[in-house]
Amino acid sequence: MGKYMFSRRNFLKLAAATGSASMLAACGGGSSDGGSDAASATGDGIGVMLSTNVMSLDTDLATDGDSFEVIADCIDGLMQMDSDGAAIPALAETTDVSEDGCTWTFHLRDANWSNGTPVTANDFVFAWRRIVQNQGEYAYMMSDIGQIKNGPALAEAILAGEDADVSTLGVTAVDDKTLEVQLEVPVPYFDSLMYFPTFYPINEEFYNGLEDGTYGTSPDTFLSCGAFVLSDYTPGTASLTVTKNADYWNADSVSLPSINYQVVGSSDNALTAFKSNSLDVVMIGGNQVAAAEKDADLADKLVVTGAGYMWYLTFSQTEKNAQGGMLANQNLRLAFTNAIDREALVDNYVMDGSLATYTAVPPQFAASATTGEDFSADQDKFKDYIGYDVEKAQKYFEDAKKELGVDSFEFTLIFGNNEGDEVTKVAQAIKEQIEATLSGVTLNLQAMTKAERLDKMQEDNYDVALTRWGPDYADPMTYLGMWITNNSNNYGFWSNAEYDKIIADCTTGEYVSDYDARWAALYDAETLVMQEAVIAPLYTKANANLINPSVQGIEFHPVALNRVYKNTTVE
Amino acid sequence: MAETAYVPTKEDFELLTGRDITTDKNFASQSYWKGVAIHFLRNRRAMVGVFIVLAIILLAVFGPILSSYGYRDIVSYTDEAGKQVVAKGIAPQIGHAGDGPFDQYTFLFGTDDLGRDQWTRTWHGARVSLVIAFVTIIIDMIIGMSYGLISGYFGGAVDAVMQRIVEVANSVPRLVIVSVLAIFMPKGMGLVIVALLLTEWIGMSKIARAEMLRIKEQEYVLASRTLGAHSMHIIFKQILPNTIGPIITQVMFSIPTAIFTEAFLSFVGVGIMLPQCSIGSLIENGFNNITTLPYQILPPIIVLALQMLGFNFIGDGFREALAPKLEDM
Amino acid sequence: MKKYILKRVAMSLATLLLITFVLFVLVRIMPGNPFPSERMSAEQIANKRAELGLDDPVLVQFSRYMANLAHGDFGKGTSLYYGAPIKTVLGQCISNSFRIGGLAIFIGTAVGLILGITAALNKGTFLDAFCTVFSILGVCVPGYVFLIFLQYFFSYKIPFFPYFFDSSRFLFSSVMPALSLSLFTMSTVARFTRNEMVEVMDSDYVHLAESKGMYGNMLVTRHILRNALIPIVTVLAPLIVDLLTGALVVEKIYGINGIGKLMVDSIAGEGVDYNYVLALGILYSALYIGIMLIVDILYGLLDPRIRVASSEGGDA
Repeated sequence: MGKYMFSRRNFLKLAAATGSASMLAACGGGSSDGGSDAASATGDGIGVMLSTNVMSLDTDLATDGDSFEVIADCIDGLMQMDSDGAAIPALAETTDVSEDGCTWTFHLRDANWSNGTPVTANDFVFAWRRIVQNQGEYAYMMSDIGQIKNGPALAEAILAGEDADVSTLGVTAVDDKTLEVQLEVPVPYFDSLMYFPTFYPINEEFYNGLEDGTYGTSPDTFLSCGAFVLSDYTPGTASLTVTKNADYWNADSVSLPSINYQVVGSSDNALTAFKSNSLDVVMIGGNQVAAAEKDADLADKLVVTGAGYMWYLTFSQTEKNAQGGMLANQNLRLAFTNAIDREALVDNYVMDGSLATYTAVPPQFAASATTGEDFSADQDKFKDYIGYDVEKAQKYFEDAKKELGVDSFEFTLIFGNNEGDEVTKVAQAIKEQIEATLSGVTLNLQAMTKAERLDKMQEDNYDVALTRWGPDYADPMTYLGMWITNNSNNYGFWSNAEYDKIIADCTTGEYVSDYDARWAALYDAETLVMQEAVIAPLYTKANANLINPSVQGIEFHPVALNRVYKNTTVE
Repeated sequence: MAETAYVPTKEDFELLTGRDITTDKNFASQSYWKGVAIHFLRNRRAMVGVFIVLAIILLAVFGPILSSYGYRDIVSYTDEAGKQVVAKGIAPQIGHAGDGPFDQYTFLFGTDDLGRDQWTRTWHGARVSLVIAFVTIIIDMIIGMSYGLISGYFGGAVDAVMQRIVEVANSVPRLVIVSVLAIFMPKGMGLVIVALLLTEWIGMSKIARAEMLRIKEQEYVLASRTLGAHSMHIIFKQILPNTIGPIITQVMFSIPTAIFTEAFLSFVGVGIMLPQCSIGSLIENGFNNITTLPYQILPPIIVLALQMLGFNFIGDGFREALAPKLEDM
Repeated sequence: MKKYILKRVAMSLATLLLITFVLFVLVRIMPGNPFPSERMSAEQIANKRAELGLDDPVLVQFSRYMANLAHGDFGKGTSLYYGAPIKTVLGQCISNSFRIGGLAIFIGTAVGLILGITAALNKGTFLDAFCTVFSILGVCVPGYVFLIFLQYFFSYKIPFFPYFFDSSRFLFSSVMPALSLSLFTMSTVARFTRNEMVEVMDSDYVHLAESKGMYGNMLVTRHILRNALIPIVTVLAPLIVDLLTGALVVEKIYGINGIGKLMVDSIAGEGVDYNYVLALGILYSALYIGIMLIVDILYGLLDPRIRVASSEGGDA
């Protein structure tokens, strides 16, 4: 303590000094009081809200959207997203795809790391092999999703504890500027995977020169080759800063001098922070959206963007849960899914522009490469199986009661209490809706941390769970891949041979080279999920952003990178 | 000085006889507790405290009945388009004519985020908080006080061991203990009470021990001990009444802490189950909308503050009645 | 005295070891996963657990942990700030929390004492009633609610203080969080001071001192306050530990990278991070044990009749 003690006199002096300085700033600049605050007044960058702390800047370890956003500010991939979310060249100047679609050759442009060394093909090889070797959260991007040659086999061997040589992974540096990737099967969306941070490069020499575990833990231990460089960061910090990278290959097109990120814990606090000009970009929810809509000053600054996440209910179908596997009964699940008024949920409780969802693949993230049509644009296509229809729900319920020979059901709905205020509200509203429509059902609510919820779902120790999934890549498979038998995300333990076959055909089988046939087959698969009410989709999350009108050109995406600032300008 | 001391002989003493030893006046004797009760009842502030606490208890019991909505009823109507419109986030109002869909409804404390009557929920929540308050008082007065007094009185090895136990009990984060407990017992009010039982007495035990350390070296304790009084008699009959001041103050201050502990435990999912509520959880909910819907947080905070004010007045009354040396007497 | 302190320190180390072990075991029983993941398969998670040696017998794990600890190595985060060594994260958090907490302790104790003394000296007047109501409100209104009001009025309505914590302007941006954190301490100290002083002021020895012609500051500080201090020090001690180890909501609102949020995130965040829970648990216990030792020594200084020190030697 002694070190930080201060005398009363010094304290007053300091307070007076800082106080008057900020008064001056306030007079000169208008509204902001300077410091780490935003900069709309001083013109040196923008203040942006993060909703959680950045967990890691290491592409092998990062798992959350906020971390990915900061990584993508600082590191470029082979591809980047354009404003519509399509893949356009970044570090790869040109790309060649072989006729069979199994060999992708990326020709790198001249670009440098922030320490002056050039970005080479080997930086990718090193980073990708490391992902496979460590088998972390996103290692499946290299195997199941990316289908890189030997990726699936290597993953299996490493997990079995066998000797595995990651140099057999189908990625090679032909020369410094040429990266060749071999795939097991053609992957139609492979180029759009390349903007996902898992596929970003790491400079091997720099990495190996660091003390173990320190990569990405400070500006000194992190190399940038993207639009921004990390200038102020420690792990766990609530505020961090990235500044423009003068040596960026496309530096001329980047006009934003810096981004000051600030973690903000509550929607109410975010709203006041925005009103006080402390931040230029914030996300608000629930009542704050309602308040902003009514406020003439704020209403036109409100921008709703897709967040990608779909919230849904999953039903455990195994014997040991839900009164001896009651939820294995299809009619009971259909009764549930038809008893929920999704429009009421989003209008009254979520309120941030989230969309009531009636499809197993949420809308607005996966468009067909051939027709450009959104996979789930038509939300009425499954109206025979899902919707808010009291009579239908009660009919399904009567059937279920007959089949099961039981009149009353008591289940527990588990949900996370640290996943946003609206989740707690939605859970309570669902309880009231279901109990009102299906008399005889008691749905107890059990709040828990997200960690415990996941634990319970993974151990198959729950009846009904309120959970979510965000798309990792722009293809319906990111959702439909979950419901195959024994997939670790198939928390209901649903199993359907016909479904498994369609999905297998679409990933490694007959449809891989026929885009439209695959697209149609995916629709068939989705129909099965909806018909049997494997899950009850609820709503697709949107973000209600308040954006300072002087900040233009932030690109929002529901997949991979939620916000991109490469073309952002400040007036 | 060096001379040999004078040794008294039997002749130096004579028996006292013939003196009237009944001259001491005898006052009408009244028991200690009767005196306490009389002092307490005469204390106007204490009576105000009793009134406040009784009023809160009555409202907690009957308040929800006075409203036409249950604590979990979502007030809503369906508009022409078939959309459900919920009476959420409504400011306190008395039913009146108007164009608004919910103008004719009466919500004395407004409604919450889900469109439930805050009045009903506040009093429903007050029940939980009252239970927590009384449990805390019992834990403090029984476990905390005895533990501290005994530890302080015996000192030495007893104190050393007892204080190390306190250190261990206090150092394991409550959230860890409670999560582990939740494996073995159902989540809910019972678990909250067990959680409070495990650690809530520590603050009180420290106060009681400090008071004991201060008082046990005083002459009257020494006298008692010399006269062969039993340890427990000295601790609870002789010292305890003299430590009551800080002990009552400590009880009062541990109540809100316990109420917020319950709210935190409920928030992390080991306390009472939604859609039930407590004063603490209502405050936390109101906090989420504090600048947009400020009236949501006011009713629970005011009820809590009044409850605390009442308890404090009662506590002060007791202290003054128990320790009759104060000048108020 | 020296012997006593040495003895207590030795005992404290043993207690700390016991606490670490208890925590080490409990955290492994808790529900929640050190590798929370929606995308990893059961085999992947098993692999990660094996890498960290979580499948070994608890005693083996514990001795390995203690051996690493002896080298100052707290390990790495698994569900929180993954991959970064804990000491790099902890250093910044401790620095922030200790400084803000220290300021809060200073404000809380100083203002609390002044309030309490004023109320006691003006017993029965309006000032006394104000002190009572203030201290009751101070414990009923959580500090973070107060912070929101400060932030609303002094960072938004009148933009004087920064809206978020800014470590480059440490003291200036610590004023509001420290004030709000100090509220509970202030109320507690004020209430205890007032009640104790009222009681002491009525005691025989104060009346004696008064009758000898002693008055004013001398009487208050030398006779009254000194005797009232024992319960105040006793309630203050755990509050100091709590303030130094941060407060979740205040840190969250004001964007402070502190211990309180770290502790809750490590238990009830994305997952259960064994290493963080242990590191923070050890830190908390060490502080608590240390401050309790100081308090026991202080008792003797405040009232020479109290002999915790000698009686603990076993000669009671």
